[in-house]
Amino acid sequence: MASEDWLQRRTFHHTNFSDIRWLLQHKERQGLTISLCLPTYNEEKTIGQEIVIFKAELMDRFPLLDEIAVIDSGSTDKTCQIAAEFGADVYIASEHLSEYGHYRGKGENLWKALYLLRGDIIVYVDTDIANIHPRFVYGLVGPLLVNPEVHYVKAFYDRPIAHSRQLRPTGGGRVTEILIRPLFSLFYPELTAILQPLSGQYAGRRSILEQIPFPVGYGVETAMLIDIYQHLGMEAFAQTDLACLIHRNQDTVALGRMAFGVARVFLSRLRRDGKIHYEGQLPTLMRQFEFADGNYRLREYTIEEIERPPMIQVEAYRQKFYPQKEPSSAQELPPLSPPSEQLSGETV
Amino acid sequence: MTVTVPVRRPVEELPEALKPLRERILSNLTMLARLPAPPGREQDRVQFLLDRFLEAGLTDATTDEIGNAVGRIRGRRGNRTILVVSHLDDIVRSGTEHEITVRADRVIGPGVSDNALGAAVVAILPTILEHLNIELNSNLILLGSILSLERGNHRGIRFFLDQYPEDIHFGICVEGIELGRLDFFSIATARADLVCQVRNGGAPSRPYGSESALVVLNQIINRILGIPVPVRPYTVIRMGKLRAGVSYDTEPTRALLGLEIVSHEDDQVDRILREIEAICFEMSARHAVEAKLDVFFRTRAAGIPFGHRLVTSSIEVMRKLGIEPDQRHTPSEVSEMIARDIPAVTLGITRGRKHQRPKPDYVLIEPILRGVAQVVGVLLAIDSGACDGI
Repeated sequence: MASEDWLQRRTFHHTNFSDIRWLLQHKERQGLTISLCLPTYNEEKTIGQEIVIFKAELMDRFPLLDEIAVIDSGSTDKTCQIAAEFGADVYIASEHLSEYGHYRGKGENLWKALYLLRGDIIVYVDTDIANIHPRFVYGLVGPLLVNPEVHYVKAFYDRPIAHSRQLRPTGGGRVTEILIRPLFSLFYPELTAILQPLSGQYAGRRSILEQIPFPVGYGVETAMLIDIYQHLGMEAFAQTDLACLIHRNQDTVALGRMAFGVARVFLSRLRRDGKIHYEGQLPTLMRQFEFADGNYRLREYTIEEIERPPMIQVEAYRQKFYPQKEPSSAQELPPLSPPSEQLSGETV
Repeated sequence: MTVTVPVRRPVEELPEALKPLRERILSNLTMLARLPAPPGREQDRVQFLLDRFLEAGLTDATTDEIGNAVGRIRGRRGNRTILVVSHLDDIVRSGTEHEITVRADRVIGPGVSDNALGAAVVAILPTILEHLNIELNSNLILLGSILSLERGNHRGIRFFLDQYPEDIHFGICVEGIELGRLDFFSIATARADLVCQVRNGGAPSRPYGSESALVVLNQIINRILGIPVPVRPYTVIRMGKLRAGVSYDTEPTRALLGLEIVSHEDDQVDRILREIEAICFEMSARHAVEAKLDVFFRTRAAGIPFGHRLVTSSIEVMRKLGIEPDQRHTPSEVSEMIARDIPAVTLGITRGRKHQRPKPDYVLIEPILRGVAQVVGVLLAIDSGACDGI
């Protein structure tokens, strides 16, 4: 079976890449630069540790990373101060590419990172991880450095969840198992081989990331997989086992809202790719119920999943990265457009 | 006396020179602190140190027979051998999540101050020397010792000192806190658990005595409080731990008191231990319990004179770095070295807090580079010969 063959060839363990000197040789031989993007919003508890460890181990000891940047969504705690204290470049997302408006969401930060960071490879790592380790970076860049056919690497791991003061042995991945995996099985069966498609840890080549649209909210990881798959096929992917990742838990109700956003992004791509047809626009209202004071109360959330266009279509980006060339000559592939219904939206 | 420091820059400039290594020290600290290391289960931290030593080119870094992490840097002349040691174990309560938070001014988390920071400094010392272009004349041994705390009773360093085939001429013990700490003598110390166990499991058929180990232990405590404790020589009995019972409606059949006796004179500790044992014997007979004193940790009173050149050199290095010396005698590995006639001092790296539950342990970041510079400064003073002789 194709998926099993892909799994065999393109699934790695972080220990395959723990010899950082060896990775460094690959990086230098290819003349590549690597940027680490840490999207943040009120992460003062964990951001310091992440930056200290990544800077010490992957910049000071071995210059695998060329830059570490925090792209912040407007934290009201000390996230930015702590990040700057330990040597990260700190960008407030709303202050950059402001002529294109601003939306709040992780995807917005990842999209703007393409403009703000200079690396040929961009590594994205979440900032709520309690057991951060250099493997979260070298495990992801490893396949990209040793195999030019790989364009995008996804992490998977055990996910004990921080709950009170103890760890529970299992958990997490609920949206994956009850939403994404069934949908992938129905419409993109090859992508089911990606073991944790919603993982927030991944790395990609700029050359493909600049070609795809970025939903600003929950759907960014799902969209990346589908869009890169449409562009380059399954051979562009690899995945790495990062062993164990401890992060904050989200309650089921919050995951429900996440699933809503992911589903909208997914359905819009199905329509774009001609796999389903529906009239008009998808609703943006997510309805949930809570029980309080003996009564059920309706709570409504507007979840739009605005999408940013491929960065290569942004004039400021082209001027910064391809000042001498037309984008079409710089890139072999035409960029993917965001699904048409997602182009509208109010800026904040 | 002037400390001759054979390095291109004066001691005062070392903190600035060490700035590029700050994040590496903090990285060592956070990664070590995340590894649980109760006495006897320090293997992950041992491996961490060995990895760091090997990466720094200490090709013969290895464990000794008991499991200490040992790294060696041969000196140019090898005319003396200096041991720099940090204990790797901690006494973080079992089940505690080793979650570390790095703030702008401090690192917070279980065990960061005692003694993940000390171990982090020992782990990076070869890199520091290389960074500063320092090549010592003396041989340098870096030791991450296991089985130091609680019932470990310094077993790791005692094994190392007793088995190491070459003479060790000087020692530096590195502790996370407090900056300015300068231990150069060992106070007589005994640590013991006093366990009170009700005979027959507290069966109601017992003809006499208490059925509550807690009540009997309370009476024992009152008797201990009545033991004469002199002001001079300085002597104190500390009762630090008390454990008994599981529920409100059941009298405990077992109760435990953890206590420490310290004195400037061994005789006082011996006397107090004898008196406590007599109390245990009497109370056992009176109340139908088994009250037993288990002394699991002993150090003897010893030290090097205040005027020893190692002490005066250390003070001079501290003062050059703006560190106010605080002479103490907290039990540490230094006592084992002094007991073997090895001049040694314990130095603290920064300010912080330890063992004050429920308040979390922490270490301040800003003083760390001065603390590390102090270790390097004392190392250089020893290497220059400034600490030789009394």
